[in-house]
Amino acid sequence: MAQAALVNRHMPVVWRVAFRMLKDRQEAEDVTQETFLRAWKMLPDWQDRAKFSTWACTVALNLSRDRLRKKRPVLMDELPEQADHGPRPDQALDQKQAGGRITALVDNLPERQKEALTLCAFEGMTNIEAAAAMDISVDALESLLARARRKLREQLEEDSKA
Amino acid sequence: MTSRSTITQDRVLDLIGAYGSDPESWPEDEREAARALLREDPARFEAALAEARLLDEALLRAPVPDTPAGLAERILADAPRAQSARTGLRALAARFGDFVFPNGARWPAGATLAALVMGMSAGLVTVPANASEDYDSAEEQVLYAALGFDSFDTYGQEGAE
Repeated sequence: MAQAALVNRHMPVVWRVAFRMLKDRQEAEDVTQETFLRAWKMLPDWQDRAKFSTWACTVALNLSRDRLRKKRPVLMDELPEQADHGPRPDQALDQKQAGGRITALVDNLPERQKEALTLCAFEGMTNIEAAAAMDISVDALESLLARARRKLREQLEEDSKA
Repeated sequence: MTSRSTITQDRVLDLIGAYGSDPESWPEDEREAARALLREDPARFEAALAEARLLDEALLRAPVPDTPAGLAERILADAPRAQSARTGLRALAARFGDFVFPNGARWPAGATLAALVMGMSAGLVTVPANASEDYDSAEEQVLYAALGFDSFDTYGQEGAE
């Protein structure tokens, strides 16, 4: 019963984070299941080292990164921002619905920026929680968020001009 | 968390640029000082806030992906067997009894204890299927305690048995 409560409470966030990163429902499900498998294994040794939610998002992000790298065997952190492979802004412009357009623009962000935006803007984590989940400093998180939002604003402006 | 009493206008612009137009999204330790600056000189931040608000509204329009049906059940199928709720509640009652009544519980103390246990049980069965998206909370700790676990630590130890 405690396990059901734990899953009901945290699984949706873990799944959404994985899905937003991977854009594949089955892969996101696999990541979510693997995250909880690891949770069941580590609970006996839990040392109160982190909130479960933060720990679970860290695991889900790491598993998602592993899968992305297997698909694209290039270290995303080393790529320049413009070298992503998602739909171009002009493709995003073609999407009729605003929700679809902003989703496409977010998907087009570099991996780490998308992670930061997903945790803070979509999942409502605080800066401290999101930084912990990504295993980076709060300053680094803030930099990722600022760059992500700047890029999205610019692309929305291009949309409106078009 | 400590609160920063003073920040600069440039810092407020940084906060807007990184976290958006809603002060509730800003870091807790800077929020009040930033709000004070906003009140002092709203024109200074008007353009940045308007620009950020447009993006915030766009982000709100992004569809929330729905969780696959049956995923919770599939995850729970792989979970280690925990002690039954009945056993857990009995252990909880014994633990509370030992703590509150070290010399043995007698009526009406027993009734009080029973009411406490029943109340916690009722709380358990009314936990929503899709709980709030707040992160680990005091209620969650109560939940584990009500199941007979002091924490994740004891939950894991007993669940692994």
